[in-house]
Amino acid sequence: MSLIKLRGLEKTYQQGKIAVPALRGIDLEIESGEFTTIFGPSGSGKTTLLNMIGCLDKSTAGEIIFDEHSINDLNNKELAEVRRYNLGFIFQSYNLIPVLTAFENVEFAIRLIEKHSKKERRDRVMSLLEEVGLGEMANRRPNELSGGQKQRVAIARALIKEPKLVLADEPTANLDSETSQEVLELMKEMNRESNTTFIFSTHDPQVMDYARRLIEIKDGKITNDQRRD
Amino acid sequence: MFFLKMAIKNLSRHKRRTVITALIIAFAILIYILTEGLMIGMTEMSFDNIINLESGHLQVANQDYWDDRRELPLRDLIRPSAAVESELKQTEGFVDLTKRLNFSVNLNNGIDELPVTGVGIEPGQDSQVFELEQHLVEGRMPEADSSEIIMGAKLAELMDFSLGDFAIMLIRTEEKTFNTIDGEIVGLFNTPHPSLNESNIFSSLSTAQQRLNVEDKISHYVLRLEDQDQAVNAAASLTGRLEGELNAYSWRDAAESLVTMLEMQEIETQVILAIILTMAAVGIVNTVILSALERMEEIGMMKALGMHQREIVYTFMGEAAGIGIIGGVMGIIMGSLGLWIFNLNGIDMSALTGGGDINYGFPLSGTIYAGWEISSFIFVFVYGVFVSILASIFPALWAARKDPVKAIYHR
Repeated sequence: MSLIKLRGLEKTYQQGKIAVPALRGIDLEIESGEFTTIFGPSGSGKTTLLNMIGCLDKSTAGEIIFDEHSINDLNNKELAEVRRYNLGFIFQSYNLIPVLTAFENVEFAIRLIEKHSKKERRDRVMSLLEEVGLGEMANRRPNELSGGQKQRVAIARALIKEPKLVLADEPTANLDSETSQEVLELMKEMNRESNTTFIFSTHDPQVMDYARRLIEIKDGKITNDQRRD
Repeated sequence: MFFLKMAIKNLSRHKRRTVITALIIAFAILIYILTEGLMIGMTEMSFDNIINLESGHLQVANQDYWDDRRELPLRDLIRPSAAVESELKQTEGFVDLTKRLNFSVNLNNGIDELPVTGVGIEPGQDSQVFELEQHLVEGRMPEADSSEIIMGAKLAELMDFSLGDFAIMLIRTEEKTFNTIDGEIVGLFNTPHPSLNESNIFSSLSTAQQRLNVEDKISHYVLRLEDQDQAVNAAASLTGRLEGELNAYSWRDAAESLVTMLEMQEIETQVILAIILTMAAVGIVNTVILSALERMEEIGMMKALGMHQREIVYTFMGEAAGIGIIGGVMGIIMGSLGLWIFNLNGIDMSALTGGGDINYGFPLSGTIYAGWEISSFIFVFVYGVFVSILASIFPALWAARKDPVKAIYHR
């Protein structure tokens, strides 16, 4: 079953009086449980595409269907609701809240859903932190963690609410190759265990090696879409 | 609770900035508490002076006389009666009463003449209602049926009189004919009520009545009650019971111009508070904008996680409320300390007015002490927190409305 369907998706940015096309008619379907990488050179439109799929930005033309619902006509509040319950994000620069501990950073995402008791929340957060190998560091603040550990916290934060889709924008860009590998292994394991769909944007060959589907994008168009088993 | 906890943690990011912004609020609260304290102190002292030296708690006079009382007329006077006095004694909280006759005097020392107010008092009985005797700095009170008088030490100095001198008091009788009281100065007083010191002469009631040719009439009765707060209700109830043209007036009616002035002063204090807190609000706006700019990527992340604008605004409002509370607590402590220091020795009114006799219309002089009311503390604290929160709304909205993509990538 398709989790995401994009039909003729276009995005044009206005820079002063000049219209700059970022996406020029993207047609794409992504199934549940996929581990997909979107790659391409800088400025090719991969981050813009990720933002569109992540309901963070609105398209200029075309249609986005998420979980069989069109999100084109949703207002900002409704888009926030879609993100709150269905999407997880992993950013290149982690974007953790520096005054909160690793535990609280992860708990922050689940608190927004408001359907778990305090004990349930605590158990889930601790179990996930242990899964990402940070059970002992739950009370550390981000400035007391290494880059890889921070990204693990970010992964736990993205997964804690059991989203249908996790979007990761250049998740290994700030990590050394060894740590990158650990983080990618972790995400792949999460993908296998929970069947959560992962979409990455990257130009890191190491990330591409892990992907089961590779989508190449150039000048705002998909130029190659290749599945690997 | 989580957002509150996060707001508190966010306040600890830039402790110095938080403290400086809170200090601006604390400073505004300090100024308010001191100004309000001074006003409360001056108000209480002014009312005490009016009650103890000028009006008592209640005055009973003919309605027409009361309307023209500042002109010191000799018409519409009251003829005392046992029936009226018996009725007055039934007043709730009644302690004592006395009779007075106010009249116009031109005080003459043989060279100069000065218009002053003469007051005929019942020696002995007057001290049951008023505190004039306690403020005698020389001599004694006048005796009944005598030509003895007392006056303010300042007035005596101005007219070059000393104790034992005779002062010529030029008066006009009810029939408009001139008469004099050749008053022997037997006492000089110095009260904390400046206008009383400068323009009042007290003589025996019987002497004043005889020289003014008003028989046994008086201008008004003055009553002392157990508590000044009883006066307004007592005046209303007594007026209902009194017959004819007689009406009862509370000390607030007697001091109506002062009450109006104090109300204006209160507005002035509120305006000062509003101005200073507006300045503090600018500090809050600045702090929230700086915080938002520093945390733009976090805001983007919060939006990506699905936080609504409203929730992001609440986070910043929580921080502003935290600054307001810190500033409020600091302000209350500083204000309380300020009032305590202020009241250690009080403040000499003449020092405030550059050493002169200017009193800005307040019936008080000498050393003043600040007062305080718990309600003022609560008001200014709540107001400070409210202004902090209010000031944070627009910059918080600005931050919360940021496009999530622009916020995440800090474009």
